Amino acid sequence: MFDVLHQLSLGFLHLLVPANAAALVVGLIVGMLVAVLPGLTLVMGVVLALPFTYGMGVTPAIVLLTAMYLSGTYGGAFTSILFRIPGEPLDVPLLWDGYAMARAGKPALALGWTLLAALWGGLLTAVSAVALAVPFAKFALRFDAPEYFTIVLFGLSGVVALGQASMASALVSLCIGLLLATVGVDPTYGASRFTFGIPILMDGVEYLTVMVGAYGLGEVLTRMEQGFGSGPIHGDRRIETHLPGWSQIWKLRPTIGRSSLIGVLCGIVPGAGATVGSFVAYGTEAQYGRRREQLGSGIPEGIIAPQIASTATVGGHMVPLLALGIPGSGATAVILGAFLLHGVQPGPQIFATEADMVYTIFASMFAAVLGMCVLGYFAIRPLVRVLHLPEAVTSAFVALFCFVGAYSARNSITDLWMIVIFGVLGYLFEKFRFPIAPMVLGAILGPVAETSFMTSMIAYQNDWTIFLRRPISGTVVALTVIALAYPLVRAVRRRLRELARR
Amino acid sequence: MQRPALRARLAGAAPYAVVLAGAAYLYVNAGSFAALARPGELGPQFWPRAVLGLLMLVCGGAIVRAMILPPIAQAPFGAGSPSEDEDSARVEPAAHPYRLLGGVVLSAAYVAGMERLGFFLATALYLGLFMWLGRYRRPGVIVSASLIGSLAFVFVFMKIVYVSLPLGVAPFQAVSLAILALLGIR
Repeated sequence: MFDVLHQLSLGFLHLLVPANAAALVVGLIVGMLVAVLPGLTLVMGVVLALPFTYGMGVTPAIVLLTAMYLSGTYGGAFTSILFRIPGEPLDVPLLWDGYAMARAGKPALALGWTLLAALWGGLLTAVSAVALAVPFAKFALRFDAPEYFTIVLFGLSGVVALGQASMASALVSLCIGLLLATVGVDPTYGASRFTFGIPILMDGVEYLTVMVGAYGLGEVLTRMEQGFGSGPIHGDRRIETHLPGWSQIWKLRPTIGRSSLIGVLCGIVPGAGATVGSFVAYGTEAQYGRRREQLGSGIPEGIIAPQIASTATVGGHMVPLLALGIPGSGATAVILGAFLLHGVQPGPQIFATEADMVYTIFASMFAAVLGMCVLGYFAIRPLVRVLHLPEAVTSAFVALFCFVGAYSARNSITDLWMIVIFGVLGYLFEKFRFPIAPMVLGAILGPVAETSFMTSMIAYQNDWTIFLRRPISGTVVALTVIALAYPLVRAVRRRLRELARR
Repeated sequence: MQRPALRARLAGAAPYAVVLAGAAYLYVNAGSFAALARPGELGPQFWPRAVLGLLMLVCGGAIVRAMILPPIAQAPFGAGSPSEDEDSARVEPAAHPYRLLGGVVLSAAYVAGMERLGFFLATALYLGLFMWLGRYRRPGVIVSASLIGSLAFVFVFMKIVYVSLPLGVAPFQAVSLAILALLGIR
C-alpha cells in the first residue's frame, strides 16, 4: 500500500517533466476537440494522434493518448447538451435529460452537473486503476500459456458479446481480424500463409493500417456518402457552467453510487466500454432510480448517471491493458499499439521493469481529470468553435492524417494502399452494420491468441482438456461461455416475445 | 413469400454469403500450409482453418436466420430511452454513391500519384479535390486550406517528427525541393 503511494507520488513528480506535462495538456485539448466534433470519434482521434507519438518517449506518448481518452469521454457532453449533437455515441443518453434541462432554460446547470459527474467518475477511475492494477498483475504472474489463451479468448468474446451489434456480425468481424493476423510468416512453423506470392505480405498486415483505415478513412467515406450532411453550426448559444449545491449533490448519492459501480465494472470487463457503461447506467437509473418516471424530462440523475459511468470506465480498461497486455476497447487497443511501437510489452512484469512509467501514467490520470474539468469550466467556449468548420474541410484533413499516420510507421507506400483497402472495408462494415472494434482487436490480439494456443498444444501434447483442467483457465473458460451465452439467451427470449406478440 | 420481403431477406443474407464464399476459398487455400507440419503436430494450417471454420459456421447460421426467420427490430440498448429523441437521432441521411465512389478513386489516385508528384503537390491536390467533392464551394478557402495544410504537414512531419516524405520525380521533385528550402528543411 505504502509502496504504491510512494510510487504514485514519484509518478506525480515525473509528470512535472516538461515533455510529460506538455503531452498531458495537448492530450486534454485534442481529446476535447475530438469529442466535440461529431464526425470524429474518440477512438479515431486516438488513432490519428498515434503517429505524432513516434518521435516521443513511451511515457509522454501514453500520457498523451490516455489524456485524450479521458477528456474525450467528457468533451462531447457540451455539444449534446447545448446543440443536441452527440459528439460520441456515449453522449447519446445526455441528449435525453441534458438537452431537456438546457431547453428548460438551465443549460449552465446541466453543464455543471456534467462537470461534477466527470470529475467524480474520473477521480474514481484513477483510484480504481491504482488500487486494482498491482493485485491484478501479481495474480497474472501465475499465468502460463493456457491461461493467456483463455484470457485473450475471454477478452475477444466480451467484445463480441457486449458490443451493440448483433452477435453474428460481431463474430464475423472478429474472425476477419483474427485471419488478418495470420497473414505472413507464421511464428511457430515458419510457413508463409495467405501471401499469394506478394512479397510485402510476408511481413504480415500491419495492425496500424487496419485500425487507421477502418476507423479513420472508413468513417470519412461513410460521411462522404451522406454528403457531409451535418454542416457547420450557426448561431451562438451562451456557454457557461453553474455548479449545483452540496445539498443537491447529496440527494443523488444512490445514483452516484450505482453509476460509479457500473462504470468501474464496465471498464474492467473487456468489450463493455464507455458507450455501454453510459447506456447501462442510464438504463439502470430508468429501472431503479427514485425519480425514474421523470427520467427524460431534464433531471440531474439522467445527466450524471451516464457521465459518471462513461468516465469511470477509462481506468478499468487500463487495468487489464497494463497488467495483462489485453485491451478491452478500441481506444485501449490503440494505446497498446503505442506501447508496442515503442518496444514495451505490457504485462505483469511491467510493474517491476517500468514502474516509473506506469505510475507516471496513473498520476497523469489524476492530473488529466482535474485538467479536463478546469478546461471544461474555463476554455470550452473556444473549443466548441470547431463546430463552425465545414465538415468537408475537417474530413479532408482527417483522411490526410490517416495516410500520413500510416506512412510514418514504416515509410511504405504499400501501407497507404492498405489504408485505402481497409478504408473501403471499414465503409462496408458501417454500411452492413458490422462492428469494427472486434476486427481491430482480433488483428491485434490474434498473434497472442495463436501463439499461446499453439504453445499450449505443443507443451501439453495436443491435450485440449488442459484449458478446462487448470483452475484459472477453467474458470476463465466458464466465464467466456457465460459471456457468449448471455446475449444468446437474451436474443432468444426477445424473439420469443416478439413472436408471441404477433 | 412476397417479392419485396424475399428481396429484403436476400439483402440481409448477401453480406454473409460473400464472406462465406471468401472463407471457403481461404479454407481450401490453407490446406497447402499443412505440408510443413511434422507427424503429431497441429501444423501452421490449424489456427487459420479453425478461425475459417468458425467464420463459415457463423455465416451459414446468419444466412439461414436471414432467410427463414422473420426480421425483428433491434431493441435499443438500455431501458428508458425516450423514443422521440432516439427516432430523430436515427434519421437516415440521403445517400451520395457517386461522391463515395469519387472519394475512393481520389484516395487511390492520391496513393498512386504520391511517389510521382511528391508529397506536397499530391497532398495539396488531394485536399482541394476532396473538399470540392465534399460539396464545399468556396474556392478561396479550398486553395488556401490545401496549400497551407500541405505546407503544415510537410513542416511537422519532416522537420519535427523526422518522417521522410516522398519528393516525387522530375519535374515535380523541383517543387518539393523548393518547398523544403522554403521551410528550412535540409
